[in-house]
Amino acid sequence: MSEPEASSETVTPPESTKTGPGRLLVAVYGLFALSACARAGTQIATEFSRAPVAYVLSAIAGVVYIVATVTLVNGSRTARRIAALSCSVELAGVLAVGTWSVLDKASFPDATVWSTYGVGYGFVPLVLPVFGLLWLRRWSKRDRTSPAIVPAAPVAGEVVGDGEDGSRAGTPSVDSRRTSGL
Amino acid sequence: MNGAVPTTIIVVGLALAAYALLTTARNRRVGLGLLVVIGVLEILLLVLVGLIVARLAGGGRPTGMVMLVGYLIAMPLVPVIAGFWGAMERSRWGPAVYAVAGLAAAILMVRLHEIWAVIHV
Repeated sequence: MSEPEASSETVTPPESTKTGPGRLLVAVYGLFALSACARAGTQIATEFSRAPVAYVLSAIAGVVYIVATVTLVNGSRTARRIAALSCSVELAGVLAVGTWSVLDKASFPDATVWSTYGVGYGFVPLVLPVFGLLWLRRWSKRDRTSPAIVPAAPVAGEVVGDGEDGSRAGTPSVDSRRTSGL
Repeated sequence: MNGAVPTTIIVVGLALAAYALLTTARNRRVGLGLLVVIGVLEILLLVLVGLIVARLAGGGRPTGMVMLVGYLIAMPLVPVIAGFWGAMERSRWGPAVYAVAGLAAAILMVRLHEIWAVIHV
């Protein structure tokens, strides 16, 4: 087969939320954003009165999927926070709406993306936010560890003398005290 | 004749998914082989859009007309967007995107049949 060998980039962790496994996540999120919004859009436009609850929930799901897609592509620290929030909302949504649709079938004459925990979509809506949160956790971990790594070997006088960032100058001493205390 | 194109799309879509997943498993990135298969899928989808538009022009009307038009617009976009998105990735996860596109094309055919049963699968 003609496929070239994957580059060595696969060995080192990917440098953004949209590369590596994130590439697949963004693709699936994008697909769900498209399908959920298209479904909700046409249903609300053509037959809203038939199942208003289901259609509004479909629209909300679509918006959540769009937010997750966009923030995963963006990948900045703020975007990752919003992405994590939308994944959480999504997980809560699929569990709540899934349970609601099983208990109260009358409110759902027509299915939503999240009905019966996403059975109409191969339970992907249930699995997707879990993978999303696991993927985003990598970066929140890195955020927590990196400030301790960056000023690993501070020259005390130089750092304090640098008036550019006073708060950062204080961190190394706190860190070194903490490590020496161990 | 009408059912041949959607059926072929399902077969090609599933074949693309299998081929792409194999490529991911072998830790390869997107190469010429996958580009050719996703290109074939795109051509087949465009043929199907043409066939459906011809049927609509001939006076046929499905109950879910708005939905059908949405499908006509979205269907040909799937391999194009997935094609670029996956080719840009220089790791094994690029082919995984192609697998999603192949599966999505196959599922779209089943849903399309539900919208307008005239399009036989």
